[in-house]
Amino acid sequence: MTEMFSTLFGQNEAQGPPGSSSLGFGPGKPPPPIPQNQVSMAAQMPPQLVDEGPALRKSGAMNEPFYLLRELPVGNELTGNTNLITHYNLEHAYNKFCGKKVKEKLSNFLPELPGMIDCPGTQDGSSLRSLIDKPPVCGNSFSPLTGASLTGFRLHTGPLPEQYRLMHIQPPKKKSKHKHKHHRPQDPLPQETPSDSDPKKKKKKRDDDPDRKKKKKDKKKKKVRINV
Amino acid sequence: MAEKFDNLEEHLEKFIENIRQLGIIVSDFQPSSQAVLNQKLNFMISGLQDIDKCQKQLHDINVPLEVFEYIDQGRNPQLYTKECLERALARNEQVKGKIDTMTKFKSLLISELSKVFPEEMAKYKDIREEDGPS
Repeated sequence: MTEMFSTLFGQNEAQGPPGSSSLGFGPGKPPPPIPQNQVSMAAQMPPQLVDEGPALRKSGAMNEPFYLLRELPVGNELTGNTNLITHYNLEHAYNKFCGKKVKEKLSNFLPELPGMIDCPGTQDGSSLRSLIDKPPVCGNSFSPLTGASLTGFRLHTGPLPEQYRLMHIQPPKKKSKHKHKHHRPQDPLPQETPSDSDPKKKKKKRDDDPDRKKKKKDKKKKKVRINV
Repeated sequence: MAEKFDNLEEHLEKFIENIRQLGIIVSDFQPSSQAVLNQKLNFMISGLQDIDKCQKQLHDINVPLEVFEYIDQGRNPQLYTKECLERALARNEQVKGKIDTMTKFKSLLISELSKVFPEEMAKYKDIREEDGPS
């Protein structure tokens, strides 16, 4: 069978390469008869074979008995065979994000940000997407407000209506291990503003904190035990 | 690189704190707090100026748009990083599987062809060795 293969290529050398059908032969199968028009075409083909395209190897004669033998692709050192996470030194990042459970809410990522940040931005028009779709007017310089322009900020005395008080509602701030140690600027609030909300807030926080209540109870129990 | 982020973060925190204090002043306004309100408003403008100055240091930073979608939905943006890494690893494993399968197929094909066409395969190996190791 192999003799037929080599003899086949030996016979067709002068005539030109055989058709593709002859390559798919089985053992003992004779090659199909070449029609007359293809014979004449085959005779013309050898000179054309010498001028091959860039994908094929240099000359047909060197590649015998193979036809249309292509160059192997240039080997790339970095393939999917390599663990790319190790290659790009992302193991630490992988263990950090995929090893531990990452909390779902935005407030867990930004615990010190005031306001209701876990709500979708589309509800109150504060989405980042809208900033891209309708970019704000930029390029103007920031100039401080003068006396005349500050007259527009003269407010009426008294508390805000209920509907506008939303910004004071904050999610419970948990003490999370944050990378950057934030130093919240403790600008002293002016004593002239007898705003009741702050001390009330502090009182409320102290009373509502369940951990504080538990600690108080434990302390009381300890005291009782010691006395006994 | 972390320094320019720290600088921006610091300015943003001061700005947010200023806004928060503005909100507290406004929530129960008293006439005596007008001067403080005006001061806070000007702090807000200077804060915006400082944040604007930071953009020169950060012009080469690119943020994927998909992260914005997570933030707009009120989700932790670290989940995006997590999902990216998981997808990358899954895809890496998938491609590695394909490469391994193709390599096995190639070696099996060469061995079977060598059984059926030993002389031709020997010539083929010689031609390929001329080209160099693949």
